Amino acid sequence: MSLLSKKISELQERTQHALQGGGDKAIAKQIAMGKLPARERIGKLLDEGTFYEYDLFIQHDAREFGMEKKDLAGDGVVIGTGKINGQPVAVYAQDFTVAGGSLGSMHARKITKIMDYALKMRIPLIGINDSGGARIQEGVNSLAGYGEIFFRNTLNSGVIPQISVILGPCAGGAVYSPALTDYVFVVDKISKMFITGPEVIKSVLGEEIDMESLGGARVHCETTGNAHFFAESEDECFAQIKKLLSYLPANNQAEVKQKNPAQPLKKYNIVKTVPADPTEPYDVRNVIKAIVDNSEFFEVQELWAKNIVVGYGRIEGRTVGFIANQPLYLAGVLDCDSSDKAARFIRFCDAFNIPIVTLEDMPGYLPGVDQEHAGVIRHGAKLLYAYSEATVPKITVILRKAYGGGYIAMNSRHLRADFVFAWPTAEIAVMGPQGAANIIFRKEIMEAEDPEAMRKAKVQEYKDKFANPYVAASKGYIDSVINPADTRKFILQSLDISQHKNAGMPKKKHGIPPF
Amino acid sequence: MAETKIRSDVPQQEPLEEMHTLGEISDAVVMPNAPKEKFRIAEEGREYKTYLTKKFLERKPWKAPDPLKVLSHIPGSVIEIFVKSGQSVKKGEKLMIYEAMKMMNVIEAPADGVIREVNVKVGQSLPKGALLVTFRKPRKK
Repeated sequence: MSLLSKKISELQERTQHALQGGGDKAIAKQIAMGKLPARERIGKLLDEGTFYEYDLFIQHDAREFGMEKKDLAGDGVVIGTGKINGQPVAVYAQDFTVAGGSLGSMHARKITKIMDYALKMRIPLIGINDSGGARIQEGVNSLAGYGEIFFRNTLNSGVIPQISVILGPCAGGAVYSPALTDYVFVVDKISKMFITGPEVIKSVLGEEIDMESLGGARVHCETTGNAHFFAESEDECFAQIKKLLSYLPANNQAEVKQKNPAQPLKKYNIVKTVPADPTEPYDVRNVIKAIVDNSEFFEVQELWAKNIVVGYGRIEGRTVGFIANQPLYLAGVLDCDSSDKAARFIRFCDAFNIPIVTLEDMPGYLPGVDQEHAGVIRHGAKLLYAYSEATVPKITVILRKAYGGGYIAMNSRHLRADFVFAWPTAEIAVMGPQGAANIIFRKEIMEAEDPEAMRKAKVQEYKDKFANPYVAASKGYIDSVINPADTRKFILQSLDISQHKNAGMPKKKHGIPPF
Repeated sequence: MAETKIRSDVPQQEPLEEMHTLGEISDAVVMPNAPKEKFRIAEEGREYKTYLTKKFLERKPWKAPDPLKVLSHIPGSVIEIFVKSGQSVKKGEKLMIYEAMKMMNVIEAPADGVIREVNVKVGQSLPKGALLVTFRKPRKK
């Protein structure tokens, strides 16, 4: 055997050993839990044969509690680069089979290395989380590792898309990396996220709750809003990630890869979708599908704050972000959660130069003590801030109701919308006819012989005068009243016109959004 | 020089001697405008002395949602009811029209099942979280 072949066979042996992860027993246990091993996950996520792994031979540096005798393959995390849809990405995956994927200082250093690569190369970062948490034997070094990751998440924010995939436990401090990233993917029965687990909650507060109800995939998609995409299986989750990335640029300076232009499908008829009676609900997603190429709409946070719909579609091959009130849920009102959801989506679109289209049909803010005490003022302000701050092309179409503060918030002309269109069914006013007539004509109604008849007459009078788009049109607050059937045409035209839009903000270190 | 009086609206902090243990929180009395409540968190044998916030004291313990109950998600009023007790419904079937925020909202059956009781009447105004319809417990096969 030549010296070279000896060296090569040594490399092969070492590689083979490191690739075993936690060994057959631990891998079998991982599979029994319904989870895939880390490298298989990466293999399924990336385009075939594109993965290159780095730092395979990393050794942990713990010297306490007998740790010095332990051999932890790759220190419990796999890092590397590869391609998705032909586009380069950086990826890391925690390996639960090695010391429960616990995070020690070298483990963290591998993650921060690939994060730094991602930033330097300006490519999206995908982190697969599956970890028992901090490696307790490493003490504060483990915490230092988390801190270094969080700092980089913040540094990378708005420069490259950052995606977190929760495929196992992600508890305690560890949850804050996903929370700082742009999109969080979870899988039913597999993902678990919480700061303090059921045990601690029980011992400190005496409240009993199981892990799934506390921080399972469904909870984070429906209740907390911490997660963005819900999948039934890991395979479905990987397909969702690929789909999301197809709409996004590699970084904040790059263009999105365009698709071939296509018409919406005939079965989505915009005119037939929206009832002229403003009290009749409908599914606004069908309006979006009647506008976008191939009627393909990729919804973000589908299960949380359903009264507002956000997501991506394409118009003539180019990515557009949609924000639409959803009359099907809670009458499409704005509230704490829907404001949060839309504001964050708008900021992402703005950071990555994705034009935004707003479809408005909204009766106002949700009244109620719980909303007021939950801080609807503060949360609602986020929406105003995000729309005002955004300098990407901003197009609004008012379908029906645009009342009160909500009218201003939903990308009105006053927040520097570039184009505002209204359908003839639009009602743009400070409040609904009932409420308005009761206030303006209170005296007349009270003093009338038949107050009910007078009320009805006055409501009608107000409706005729204000519940239409023409008062706003007469002031130039909307640019055109359009035939609903022409909506796609008008949006496309506006996008074309605003391709080279250049509207800056005053120079500042950064603004102070009402977080 | 005139004597300067220092006055504080914040009540003098009392030594944290009589502290409540966690089990007694529910019996604690909150003094208006004064962060007086004291308790100790005992975790792993270590105690932390602290005051409680009003929000913490008033928090509602978590309750698992009852899949047999359909609740209102928004304040509003009942316009029309399509089902009656004893009726079988399929998931997504219309239970009632519930007007709220200028909208005739359709309340749908969350799952297949048999209606045990319709808990509201047409014309009734309701707050958020009101019980609209109760389903029967499915029979075990």
